[in-house]
Amino acid sequence: MIRCGYCGHEFPEEEGIRSCGRCGKPGSCRMVRCPRCLYENLPEPQVIKKIKKVFGSQK
Amino acid sequence: MSLFKRKPSSHAAADASLRKKKVALVGNPNVGKSALFNALTGAYVTVSNYPGTSVEVSRGSALIEGEPCEVIDTPGMYALLPITEEERVAREILLTERPDVVLHVVDGRNLERMLPMTLQLIDAALPVILVVNIMDEAERLGLTFDFPLLSEKLGVPVIAAATAKKRGVDDIRRAIRGYRLGSHAVFGYSRRLEGDIEQIARMLQGEYPLSNRSLALLLLQRDEEVAALVRRTEGDTYPAIEELVREVTFSRRETFHLDLSMERKAIVTALLQGVLQLPDKRRVTMGERISNLAVRPLTGVPLLLIVLYFGLYRFVGDFGAGTLVDFLEGTLFEGIFNPWISGLVKDFIPWWAIQELLVGEYGVITLGLRYAVGIILPIVATFFLFFSLLEDSGYFPRLALLVDRVFKKIGLTGRAVIPMVLGFGCDTMATMVTRTLETVRERIIATLLLALAIPCSAQLGVILALLSKTPGTLLVWGACLLLIFLVIGFLAARLMPGETPMFYMELPPMRMPQLSNILTKTYTRMQWYFLEILPLFILASFLLWLGKITDFFAKLVDWSTPAMHLLGLPKEVAVAFIFGFFRRDYGAAGLYDLQTKGILDPRQLTVAAVTLTLFIPCVAQFLVMKRERGWKVSLGIGFFVSGLAFGSGYLLNQFLLVTRLV
Ligand SMILES: [Zn+2]
Repeated sequence: MIRCGYCGHEFPEEEGIRSCGRCGKPGSCRMVRCPRCLYENLPEPQVIKKIKKVFGSQK
Repeated sequence: MSLFKRKPSSHAAADASLRKKKVALVGNPNVGKSALFNALTGAYVTVSNYPGTSVEVSRGSALIEGEPCEVIDTPGMYALLPITEEERVAREILLTERPDVVLHVVDGRNLERMLPMTLQLIDAALPVILVVNIMDEAERLGLTFDFPLLSEKLGVPVIAAATAKKRGVDDIRRAIRGYRLGSHAVFGYSRRLEGDIEQIARMLQGEYPLSNRSLALLLLQRDEEVAALVRRTEGDTYPAIEELVREVTFSRRETFHLDLSMERKAIVTALLQGVLQLPDKRRVTMGERISNLAVRPLTGVPLLLIVLYFGLYRFVGDFGAGTLVDFLEGTLFEGIFNPWISGLVKDFIPWWAIQELLVGEYGVITLGLRYAVGIILPIVATFFLFFSLLEDSGYFPRLALLVDRVFKKIGLTGRAVIPMVLGFGCDTMATMVTRTLETVRERIIATLLLALAIPCSAQLGVILALLSKTPGTLLVWGACLLLIFLVIGFLAARLMPGETPMFYMELPPMRMPQLSNILTKTYTRMQWYFLEILPLFILASFLLWLGKITDFFAKLVDWSTPAMHLLGLPKEVAVAFIFGFFRRDYGAAGLYDLQTKGILDPRQLTVAAVTLTLFIPCVAQFLVMKRERGWKVSLGIGFFVSGLAFGSGYLLNQFLLVTRLV
């Protein structure tokens, strides 16, 4: 789950708007935009996801 | 989507005895609705998309205390006024299916945040039972409740539950079986709001699935679906109602949503008096106190200044750009690394051109790497740290609300606050987000202001760092940008008249920022930033090197010398402007470099910083502008911004020469 840094909306990463490829940033932009307010959020880093998996907590 | 299709009412009475009792579950996401749904229904469940939408709705049959019932699990909703498609569907179910019982499931740990919606449901005269869920966690936090008192105050049944642990489910079954719609509580708003509501509610003659009071409030919040329903139902008298709603919303357009949500909060606070006992440790809700201070102009502006002073000036400016840059750039790069690598390259590579490419004046290593690692790295690190801290605390939406009031005063749209706030992160992204604005006029104004007066985070960081060494300059820079922003906004509003739409957002609670969150965010942002800028810095160094060995660069600087002299600047500053076109922060770093060499006095520094901030956007932003607004508008903006930047720089220089302010 990502908690939007702007409006506080909580959404699963898949629900966010991703890699539209149009922001002109070199490479691809990895931000996840909030479906509610379009704020750019960082997805959870892989490392953290793995740690959470290991400890088996859902949130 | 067709909302509020009403069943013929002649059937409704006849069916009432025959049809199954309908029970709808409503509430925010993550409050345990699904667990309760499963506990009530057991095996007989169907999940299907709500007609015409991609939203899934689960329905199940249940025998509750011997009575056959249909249970509907609605999508998560935050308020009766829908924003998302899920919320629309949830409300449509409430209104068209006319459930006999509405179970409002809330999180016991956040009762204060959840009750405003309970108020709305009760206000709408829906048959509400309040289920306070996740009680096990709430009790573990040391919260104690007086539910009979809450039930009495609300006028509806209140049940404590922990549905994930099956606790309270039997009580809920009994409450559903025994539910009788009686008189519910009416919550009084302020006299002014009550006056508005009553005026409108009195004009509604038709029969509706919601109370007139609640309809009036939704009309005042510009709920288009409700407006359409009222238009259909009232017929001839609708224009008068519409006119009244317009009058009221017009006279209160600046504050209506905020006032309403504040009033609801006040009612909830009063409701919870004597109902909720916080453990001694948690009694002080600092977050709420700060939140209230942050959105009120009288306290919000000083608070903003304090935040900016300590966060940007002291932390990013003094510490990041002072202490850290002095060490990395001064001691490590200039003192140790660059002389060493220069010697090495000159010993082993005999060709002058290649030497220049690697370690010359614009060398990939001596300039590109030094800028990236020595100057930009410490500054963006401290800036991102500060930015993540604010983000995690929930301050941004408060800032948006605060700024929104100012925006409206100068005729700008409140909605534009979102791209503007984003602009401080990256103008390129923000320019893209302007497409969410409602009218072309707003999009153009917002794009213009982003290109003109909103520095991106990296540029902002470097410029703050640069100017914080000579304090007066920072004040002049800030005042200039603010003035230009306001004047251009004001003029744009004058030149392009039109209605200012409402801006509203639900404020998420403020909270203590978590160190782990902040560090993760800062780290991720920096990592990406570096992956993104390092190749560009190297490319820029390469192009500059190419310009140098072909003498093109020197010519470019010569050509711009008259312009620099008009601004009262030495011709070397032209270099920073050329850098700035590659990336905003690159230009700022160039300026930083000049200042360290002692070429600029405070006045020149101020003029250069103001001009550079206003000056044309970086290549990426320009390309996005072109894509979003087309060639004509973006070229127009480009020329206008450049002209305005140099014009302002010229005037500022003259002004500073006369007044000797810095
Ligand atoms: Zn959001």
